Amino acid sequence: MSAFTDWDILRNLLLAARWTVALSLIAFAGGALVGLLLTFMQISGRVVLVQMTRLYVELFQGTPLLMQLFLVFFGISLFGIDVSPWTAAALALTLFSSAYLTEIWRGCIESIPKGQWEASRCLGLNYVEVMYHIILPQALRIAIAPTVGFSVQIVKGTALASIIGFVELTKAGTMLNNATFEPFKVFGFVALIYFLLCYPLSVASRMLERKLHASG
Amino acid sequence: MPLVNIDNVHKYYGDNHVLKGIDLRIDAGEVVSIIGRSGSGKSTLLRCINGLETYSEGGIIVDQMEVTDDDSQIRKLSKSVGMVFQHFNLFPHLTVGQNITLAPKLVRKLSAEEAAETAREVLQKVGLQDKFDSFPGELSGGQQQRVAIARSLAMRPKVLLCDEITSALDPELVGEVLKVLETLATEGMTLILVTHEMNFARDIGDRVIFMHQGKVWESGEAKAVFANPQTPELQTFINAVL
Repeated sequence: MSAFTDWDILRNLLLAARWTVALSLIAFAGGALVGLLLTFMQISGRVVLVQMTRLYVELFQGTPLLMQLFLVFFGISLFGIDVSPWTAAALALTLFSSAYLTEIWRGCIESIPKGQWEASRCLGLNYVEVMYHIILPQALRIAIAPTVGFSVQIVKGTALASIIGFVELTKAGTMLNNATFEPFKVFGFVALIYFLLCYPLSVASRMLERKLHASG
Repeated sequence: MPLVNIDNVHKYYGDNHVLKGIDLRIDAGEVVSIIGRSGSGKSTLLRCINGLETYSEGGIIVDQMEVTDDDSQIRKLSKSVGMVFQHFNLFPHLTVGQNITLAPKLVRKLSAEEAAETAREVLQKVGLQDKFDSFPGELSGGQQQRVAIARSLAMRPKVLLCDEITSALDPELVGEVLKVLETLATEGMTLILVTHEMNFARDIGDRVIFMHQGKVWESGEAKAVFANPQTPELQTFINAVL
């Protein structure tokens, strides 16, 4: 049996971490896109759309991400469609993050004081004009910090994709541990890499929050 | 035909009967102060005049338009009725100039140049022509409220509704806002004010409406109402606030 040096372990983990990053980016972009659509449905004021969005958000917030991954991975194959772990993970994480982002953004929009609406209405602006010129620009400022903050949850959420066999950072860690029998060292590295990915995001989120609030 | 015609207006919040048959006619150029305790329905009445609140019974006609909460009607009304709020409600992400030009461009369809021209003119009127490019957050409360008045004036309204517009200001800033109102009054603007500034209501106002328990309890020529209240409720109110 060939011996793994520390560098071998770290190198393999870093290579696998590329997939963690890729999956995070896809999940964030996909989640943002779907979340944007859902947010607009939610603020449309149309009862059916609002309730559908509500149900969607409750469903994905009320079930574990792991179950969502299983359901997407095994569920789609029931229809005779072959899904790769990569596709299943990207899809499940997109659905998951879209639900949370929708909730975050709805909160930001609703936090704009009622007086802004009233002043706009008195000036004769219609719903779309109020949204576009008054509410959304202000909500966007407030939304940046919690959105960046939530991206940390997405990065950590990608670890669950290892269960359906997608080789990202955690899965690579498991495989390397099976080869080296040095769990503390291997998973120590794994944790360190996750931390190095997430910490800058947390710091950025905190800085943005301070900056946008101080000048708000 | 009066500019504002309020005819037997009732309003309920659930079981709470807040306006109990209000009749009021206000002519162009009048300065009318609505006074009364909190909870007497005076702010609600004011907010009914431009459709911010709906009413349950009766009718309100402003500038020959029926007031409803229909979107297109509210847009039409906005060209005749302006409103200034207690907490200014300026748009904090826009400059003073943008605050003022937004609605004239969108609703009155002015070009950017025409709107900017209008903005400079109304800012001049409230004495803030040098603040065109400032953000609301950089201004004092009194200045913000004057910008809010200018923003309303840029829509060329025939009547300006003022909802306790000096109540959120530091005492030393109240004067500059009242001075602007006084100028508007002398220029013939129709003003309907819900106010706690009794001196202003008495000295500048033409007419005072005292509201009590959702009704117009007493009304009349401003100086006479203060000098010679007819009901014990108004007597008590005046003694408490003056």
